[in-house]
Amino acid sequence: MLIQEGLSLEEKLKILTDAARYDVSCTSSGVGRRGKDGFLGNSRTDGICHSFSADGRCISLLKILLTNQCIYDCRYCVNRRSNDTLRTAFTPEEIGTLTMEFYRRNYIEGLFLSSGVLDTPDYTMEQIYRALLLLRREYRFNGYIHVKAIPGADPALIEMTGYLADRMSVNLELPTAGGLRTLAPAKTREKILKPMRQIQLGIARQLEREGRLESRGIRMDSIGREPSLPDPASALEEGSGHLKTGRPVLAEGSKSPEKGRPALMDDGGSREGRPRAIPGKSVYGNFGLGRVSAYRPYFVPAGQSTQLIVGATPESDYQMMAVAEALYRNFGLKRVFYSAFVRVNDDSLLPELPGGPPLLREHRLYQADWLMRYYGFAASELLDEARPNFNLFLDPKCDWALRHLEQFPVEINRAPYETLLRVPGVGVKSAVRIVAARRRSALRFEDLKRIGVVLKRAAYFITCSGRMMTPVRLQEDAIAAALLGEERRRLPFDSSGLYRQLSLFDDFHLQEGEKSHGSLCV
Amino acid sequence: MVLYVCEDSTEGILCGVYDAWASRLGHDRVGLALAGAYNYEMFTEYRPVLTDRAKAQKVERAVRGKISERAWRWVYRATLSREKEKADAVYRFLIHGFHIGEAVTQCLQIPQVHALFALNRAVACEAHHQKEFLRFSQLPDRVLFARIGPKHDVTPLLMPYFCDRMPSERFVIWDAGHERAGVHVKGGLWYLLAGREAARAAALEKETDAGRYALLWQIFFDSVAIPERKNEACQRTHLPLRYRPYMTERFSRS
Repeated sequence: MLIQEGLSLEEKLKILTDAARYDVSCTSSGVGRRGKDGFLGNSRTDGICHSFSADGRCISLLKILLTNQCIYDCRYCVNRRSNDTLRTAFTPEEIGTLTMEFYRRNYIEGLFLSSGVLDTPDYTMEQIYRALLLLRREYRFNGYIHVKAIPGADPALIEMTGYLADRMSVNLELPTAGGLRTLAPAKTREKILKPMRQIQLGIARQLEREGRLESRGIRMDSIGREPSLPDPASALEEGSGHLKTGRPVLAEGSKSPEKGRPALMDDGGSREGRPRAIPGKSVYGNFGLGRVSAYRPYFVPAGQSTQLIVGATPESDYQMMAVAEALYRNFGLKRVFYSAFVRVNDDSLLPELPGGPPLLREHRLYQADWLMRYYGFAASELLDEARPNFNLFLDPKCDWALRHLEQFPVEINRAPYETLLRVPGVGVKSAVRIVAARRRSALRFEDLKRIGVVLKRAAYFITCSGRMMTPVRLQEDAIAAALLGEERRRLPFDSSGLYRQLSLFDDFHLQEGEKSHGSLCV
Repeated sequence: MVLYVCEDSTEGILCGVYDAWASRLGHDRVGLALAGAYNYEMFTEYRPVLTDRAKAQKVERAVRGKISERAWRWVYRATLSREKEKADAVYRFLIHGFHIGEAVTQCLQIPQVHALFALNRAVACEAHHQKEFLRFSQLPDRVLFARIGPKHDVTPLLMPYFCDRMPSERFVIWDAGHERAGVHVKGGLWYLLAGREAARAAALEKETDAGRYALLWQIFFDSVAIPERKNEACQRTHLPLRYRPYMTERFSRS
């Protein structure tokens, strides 16, 4: 390991930014805090992006490593011990000055501090704690701080750091224990999940002190009692057939209780299996205090997050989503981030990616993540073992709707909020607006356009006062073709090489039987 | 038809609303226009509106009390818009507002309500973008200076935000397009300057030093992008070209 002394601040910043950029999380949201006299900074619950780098990702925080020295040799990591790169470290003063001066000039919303593991996890965590303490106490910084909890560090150190930070994260990186064993031999699942559980408990206790547990629907005694994180690989090997996501998943082939009657048209009382969709809020409840006073310390008020690498190991999308769902449900995470695998190391254990990082797959996982958190979809509704991967041609919501045409069309002027959310082209904002606006008068298609509904997509799935927008006979494959043309224009990145000869039957997983009763007569 | 011609300011437009309403000519027979921003029409009478703070405050109180704080925020933001028809849009919205009451902001199916909503949203988005992309540079005595070029006159929305964020910093925000300047002195007090005094603030720009931190920021900005994920179209969607001349970082274009 080459440790360079006497580097300038400019050189250090370049090295330690290069080393930190593969962490995708860059949000400054989740906590609202006003400014205070003598301090610099405040924080907004919706977060602020200050710039966008050449890869189109937002720059919100000064994302740097404390040091890129590391005792571990994780195969996928740019900072692994066996890589022959220049190693350096920031001093706490350098981090403080950079953060303050960047913040004053409105370049950043705060600090994202991560680190390689130097000597021991305890020593690293202590260095991180010292840097934050200096920034908060001496430099009097009141802006946003996101910091990593180092697995294996003393819980007391993590606890102390949590009171200086707004958000903490521990990266799971690989969704299966097996993947972790292969690519990150020094880490184990238990070691990663331990600090995650500690932070979850810390946040819950903070909510309890503020008397907010009940309003968030969280029960202290249930934390840690729920099944822990499913391991998709082992679950499948055992042949149990489905993942333990904390909720019974319908066995393959069994009839869904909703089938055969228009479940989406009633008042929503029959869908006990589904989480309740709260307008504009995550269905998993809100771990993290949110709005806080600037005059008292709080433990991780913006909640915790984690990251999963997409495409470094052969997990399916369904396995990824099942893990994400369990993380939200059992570990009270605020966000799970998905990071398309970038092959930074030439290693025989890592997959070759001739087409570049799997960006479209990452995009689909994010779409599905939002469907789970804000739209009340369960992972098992979007995917199952029979079709474990997302359709690359259609977004997960359109894909779901096409497979459930029996639940459409939805009457805009009567359907409950949860049902409106499931219509392609209707988002959280437009669903909230529809529910508010229709109290005054029945809505027509031109009104929906004003409200913000994307009629190009919604037109096939809705009626306004009993009428559809285009009075034609529609079938799954016709709708699919129309939506597909639109989606192809909308894809934000070059997906050349991705398209092959399309067969609607294969690509949309339509079966002959489904087709016959799935067509719509209008 | 009687057109009330008002000054292009929040107070001017509110006074126009007051006069048009008080004329009792009937809503269909009156309208509002901004001074210097209308064409003469046949059979229309033009009445100038005198801007008077007391009248404007009466309208403000009525909107906040009889409709809602939210409706007031919409109206206030809409008056900062650059659109010429904003005065009439405010008037048409308030007709529905005083009739429906608090629920008016939920009735987006009413065209006049949606028109004001759209004005309000455009101004709010512009203000949000400026909060993101505005860049300060430093004058010799640690005073911060920013030059912006927003479409709408959002400086009054930016000042409270930056004052809360940086209570101990002195700073100047100079809007080159509208020739207005916001000035914050320590202790949370801020002023809005126009005309000759604002031009004096503009002259400060020559004294800023690009400085070491601008260079460090450029290093960070270039390093944080992942080369394998390069995607300038996506970058352009989130950070439109029109903001870039005012920003510290330089964008390499291929």
